[in-house]
Amino acid sequence: MTNSERIYKVIARVMDVPISRINDESSPQNIESWDSFNGLVLADELESEFNLKFTMKEIEEVVSVADIKKCLKNHGEKFDD
Amino acid sequence: MSEFKLSYYLKKEKEISNQKFDKEIRVAILSSFTINGLQEVLRVKCANKKILCHAYVSGYNQYNQEILDIGSKLYSFKPDFTFLILDVRSILGDLFFLPNSISVSERKNFVENKVKDLHNLVNSFVKSSDSKLVISNLNIPNYSPYGIYEFKDEYGLKEMIQNLNNKLVSKLRDEQSVYIYDFNGFVNRFGEENIFDYRQYFFGDVKISLDFLPYLGADFMGYLLPALSANKKCIVVDLDNTLWGGIVGEDGFNDIQLGPNRPGNAFVEFQKCLLALHQRGIILAVNSRNNLDDAMQVINEHPHMVLRDGHFACYMINWNDKISNMKEIAKELNIGLDSIVYFDDDPINREIMKKAIPEVQTIDLPNDPSLYAKILKSMQEFNVLKITKEDIEKGKMYLQQRHRSEFKGSINLNDYLKGLGIKVKIRQVDDFSLPRVSQLTLKTNQFNLTTRRYQEEEIRKFKNDRNVLVGYAQVEDKFGDNGITGVYIIKKEKPSEWLIDTFLLSCRVIGRGIENTMLSSILKEAKNEGVTKVKGEFIPTKKNRPCENFFPSFGFVKNQDYWEYNSEKDLEIPEYIQVDQK
Repeated sequence: MTNSERIYKVIARVMDVPISRINDESSPQNIESWDSFNGLVLADELESEFNLKFTMKEIEEVVSVADIKKCLKNHGEKFDD
Repeated sequence: MSEFKLSYYLKKEKEISNQKFDKEIRVAILSSFTINGLQEVLRVKCANKKILCHAYVSGYNQYNQEILDIGSKLYSFKPDFTFLILDVRSILGDLFFLPNSISVSERKNFVENKVKDLHNLVNSFVKSSDSKLVISNLNIPNYSPYGIYEFKDEYGLKEMIQNLNNKLVSKLRDEQSVYIYDFNGFVNRFGEENIFDYRQYFFGDVKISLDFLPYLGADFMGYLLPALSANKKCIVVDLDNTLWGGIVGEDGFNDIQLGPNRPGNAFVEFQKCLLALHQRGIILAVNSRNNLDDAMQVINEHPHMVLRDGHFACYMINWNDKISNMKEIAKELNIGLDSIVYFDDDPINREIMKKAIPEVQTIDLPNDPSLYAKILKSMQEFNVLKITKEDIEKGKMYLQQRHRSEFKGSINLNDYLKGLGIKVKIRQVDDFSLPRVSQLTLKTNQFNLTTRRYQEEEIRKFKNDRNVLVGYAQVEDKFGDNGITGVYIIKKEKPSEWLIDTFLLSCRVIGRGIENTMLSSILKEAKNEGVTKVKGEFIPTKKNRPCENFFPSFGFVKNQDYWEYNSEKDLEIPEYIQVDQK
């Protein structure tokens, strides 16, 4: 599984939407269930999935798949795209 | 036991509506911080036990207003159980950081006042609601600004919180419907650094980190299960590799692993935990494929056995299949299969048991016996909301029952009953017997004509109601005291007409004429008060078939939904019973 797929899978599970609906543009603007509480749950689950800890600033700023990727890159994760 | 992540519960919770339920419960959650996610955990955990849980979560930090305002949403929700989860930061305010900004006597005053406030809050709740209340104690933080000098300082931060917790315990100990949840113990179990996530706290005032809400929910199930009589009464154990290491039939008496050294010490530890449960009323039984003599030699003679012959209410040690043995155990102990938990080290036996008798809760023991005790201790299924004298003596009573059966084997039934020397005391409920009477209505299934469940508060209301009669039967025989084992509740509907609202008998005294004695005493009392009609109903359930012919067998006549007794004639009671009625 690529890192992108890992992210999509976690988002689909936490936001309870089909994985086919997730892409790099996914954010609270287009996924209804992505509220601030689920955002916190998402950060928590991404931490377990990638075995890392976000800073509080990162949790606050990570509000789209693109942000998540940027953030994970800073933590040393690699993405093909 | 390990838990799923919170998102698992959030997702599962959305699928609950399609399921089937046996029971329902209404749960309110109040807290001084963000506790989102807990209601979903509880609803899913309840659904797994076929319980439909309706949940209400109060607004953020609204617990004071909700409790003090009798018109609040909390009260109109009509909860059965209310959890009030407080945290030390909200209660202490700035003192949490700066305990030494005020003097020792001011700190003592502060604690005194906080306890008073909480006690008042609890009192308002108890006055306004029939719900049981669970209030958490406070976590004693690991850090103190005084560092290693903490306990040299008089009434420092930790001592202050400890003292507040202790005062809360003593104030609420006798409050019948209020329980204290040991939240401090919960934090100790997992560690403050895990439970408290600074980022989640700063971000959303989350004071129990999301990954641990499922564990908190698991603990809270310990309150809900007994309230719904969905708790377990009996532990059935295998012997080889479960109570001791190795196989006695092959390794021999001297070479099984049991004793102070590893790996035998893990089995000793497990047995000690079983014994502790036995001492507060959990029944133990054995289901093992073994030679009876080999097994009994270990139980009776092995120097390091903790559990001995007297601790087991029933043995099925033979070469029959374990399924029939399990059914036999349930029959002999007169308990439902759904009140049994089964421990067996063999995964195949467990699979077979799960398939054949899914009602029995079969525990997935790991390969490693060092974890047995931990698994047993983490189970919430054995909780009870009240431990009565009868519970503590239950083990002894089942042993007496075993002796009764052995005695029964030797003679015919009538001589047997005569030889028992049964004495039945019939009394009206009083404060002392009230908890047990309520408990019997909550957990009696088989000989229970209407299966109406009454919490202590309801029984107390009946007791104070001139138009309701709550009576109980206490049964003794030559083998011992069975304690309070029968209950009836009569509603005096009209001066001339009584309704039997509840009539039940604990399974261990069924078949001895106790029911005749109780019914006869009701009819006698009715006659004394000039009542001409006593009526009752039988509400069938899955479990109460043993008493479906109760009314016709005593001459009651069916009239629409009710069975009626119009006769002037007194009811005969068996001559071998000695009755003591006040």
